[in-house]
Amino acid sequence: MRIILTAAAVLTLAVLPVAAPWLQFVLTLAIAKGFAALGVAVLLRAGLISIGHAMFFAASAYGVAFLAHAGINDLGLLLVLSVLVAALTGAIAGAFLVRYRAIFFAMLNLAVSMVFYALCAKLYGVTGGTDGMPVPIPAVFGIIFAEPAFKSVLFYLSLALMVLVGLAVQRYLDSPLGHALSAVHTNEIRLEYLGIPVWAVLLIAYVISAALAGLGGAISAFAIGRVVPDFAFWTASGHLVLIAVLGGIGGVPGAFIGALFLELLHSAAVTVTDAWNLIVGMALIIVIMFMPQGIYGLFARKEASSP
Amino acid sequence: MAFKNISLAFARCLSSLQPRFRFNWELPHANLRVVVDGLAGALVIGVVAATPVAAQDKPSSVGLGVFTFTSGPAAAYGMPGKNAADLMIDEINAKGGIGGVPVTATFVDEAQGAQGVIAEYRRLAGDAKNQVMVAALSSATCLALAPIAEQLEVPTVGWNCDTHQLLMDGKSKYVFRPNGNTVPEFIAYAIYLLDRKPDVKTVAIINPDYAFGHDAAKIFTAALKALKPDIEIVAELYPKLGSPNYQTEISRLTTARPDVVFSNLWGADLENFVRQATPRGLFTSSQVVLALGETVLQRVPLPDGVIVGVLGDGWWMSPDAKANPETVKFAEAYKSRFGEYPVFPSIKMANALIYVKAAYEAAMQKNGGKWPTRAELAAAMKGSKVATLTGITQTRADNDGLVDQIVGVTVKTSAQPFPVIGDMVRYKGDSLMPQAGQDPLAWISTLKPEFAKSLPKPGSYKIGER
Repeated sequence: MRIILTAAAVLTLAVLPVAAPWLQFVLTLAIAKGFAALGVAVLLRAGLISIGHAMFFAASAYGVAFLAHAGINDLGLLLVLSVLVAALTGAIAGAFLVRYRAIFFAMLNLAVSMVFYALCAKLYGVTGGTDGMPVPIPAVFGIIFAEPAFKSVLFYLSLALMVLVGLAVQRYLDSPLGHALSAVHTNEIRLEYLGIPVWAVLLIAYVISAALAGLGGAISAFAIGRVVPDFAFWTASGHLVLIAVLGGIGGVPGAFIGALFLELLHSAAVTVTDAWNLIVGMALIIVIMFMPQGIYGLFARKEASSP
Repeated sequence: MAFKNISLAFARCLSSLQPRFRFNWELPHANLRVVVDGLAGALVIGVVAATPVAAQDKPSSVGLGVFTFTSGPAAAYGMPGKNAADLMIDEINAKGGIGGVPVTATFVDEAQGAQGVIAEYRRLAGDAKNQVMVAALSSATCLALAPIAEQLEVPTVGWNCDTHQLLMDGKSKYVFRPNGNTVPEFIAYAIYLLDRKPDVKTVAIINPDYAFGHDAAKIFTAALKALKPDIEIVAELYPKLGSPNYQTEISRLTTARPDVVFSNLWGADLENFVRQATPRGLFTSSQVVLALGETVLQRVPLPDGVIVGVLGDGWWMSPDAKANPETVKFAEAYKSRFGEYPVFPSIKMANALIYVKAAYEAAMQKNGGKWPTRAELAAAMKGSKVATLTGITQTRADNDGLVDQIVGVTVKTSAQPFPVIGDMVRYKGDSLMPQAGQDPLAWISTLKPEFAKSLPKPGSYKIGER
């Protein structure tokens, strides 16, 4: 049943751009942000809020731009390498950040990400400052597509990745390593007594979440065609936390549902009024007030009452 | 130690992997119905929205996507542009629109960032009614939209963005910029400054900390060094965009005691800076150059003798503007509707709309009165020469615009309660531009002091003369 539902949702996403071509870009971006929000949600499992995940999003996006600049011109290779860049950045930052909890973790993530943002914006000669760097259209396994075709390839690739990576993360969260995250949240000391190294559990989660954010960043870089420091700004990080909370931190689909909801809401709001911020903000308040479990919680709650 | 821990954790997890490939997100049928219905509805709306209009028939209205900042701090600059667009479109429609078809604009807020702007651009471009985009204010937006404009083949007119990088490769077919670029804009200040103060030795720069500020500093410095090699830059300050407080920077500037302080701060930043620097004597100890000074003339009491300009020819009180009844009418209508006279971003927007209208008219003249396609509109913009409210904009082969540059100093007159620009010069657009395809900074470094001597002098641009 739930597999049918997932398939129906994915299928709908797949055909929507055929009906409204402009939606393809919005949906690609939503999926990309969904990946990053999923990264945030993974850490939220352990009760850790990262207000700095846009750093990994941007690290990977800049990775794509730099690697493309250095002559690598293959979509698959660029994706893999840039996600590795994000994971590596995550491993370095995570190595000391996962020692902290609660507000300290949140604030230190924020601080590190803002350092990264400042570097992107200030290293004018290297990163192009606020004008950013262009991302050319890469070849896909040696085939060079024209622009519209490439964007379609990118969209369907993101969709496929959403399913595959989503399954993998679901699997990870359901593994002992994933359950250990919830255990960190409830009783960290007991976990240590059980012989499970909390630091390593969290570091693995941190690297995975950085890689997820990186995957989103790389897809965004290809979709937008330009990388700017704003990708790493703290509002972008806040946006990711918001998506994660909005969608519901219960499961993998939550992050993507939240991202789709927010992107579509944004697209709708900006067409209506200059005060689009107000509409988005109101909608968020409504969701937070009346759906404490997030949008995904609407489905999950029903399930909880019927065992 | 670290590796041991990680591998330990991994090993534990691997050993206890259990084949429980099960998701926990079942939902009842009733909910499913709602979801499926909703998605089907969305699909139908999408199909309806995407149905194209035949481009060759005269549409019921001419759609324009207009991109500017309507929220956030940059709206201080973006709203005058939006106001001007509203007014200009009303004026065009009062005269029967374009080819008898009324114009309607869809405004897009650039404050939502590159991602949102691109999404909106694609959405608007998907509607065949919107044949031309007027985009954008920010150079970052223009740079992000340019490749998309080329891909989607939508004529896109940059109304304000002025980075010299935008059209540098010379390959643009659909991106046009009738308002000129940063190179002539900031060289003009270097030449004017050296004409007015030939003995200047030390210069300090305070620009906003983003690409526009850094580009301007680079161009201005390069031009000064080329024209007067012994000039020394004693301070380069880049306060954050949107800073409320400039006291630190002003302290640095006053202790450095430079002959000249150059700034391309704008919007509320510029107002703040002027208000904080005036009581501390910066305007008396140094010759101040405010590249975007015209935008605050009506808002803050600038002292006399500050070098200001309009990054182009778009000053509503220039002799050319005063001689054009259209411009006078526009300025008065603007004042009565918005309570202030237009500032140069307003004029840039109005001129961009005139440019679009001219392209429609030229395209329809060429194809025998039929409604033009996007390709025909782009062809009509290519190499065009359009009379604007304040001068003429000539589109070069690389789609960059040649516009004159007006620079002057603030003076008080009895005619207006606020300072105006006097002792003006009007440099010809082509005289300050490198050739198409030439690297601008390399070109600037080849400039010689004799080059500046050949140009008009401060005070040469007066009423009754051109």
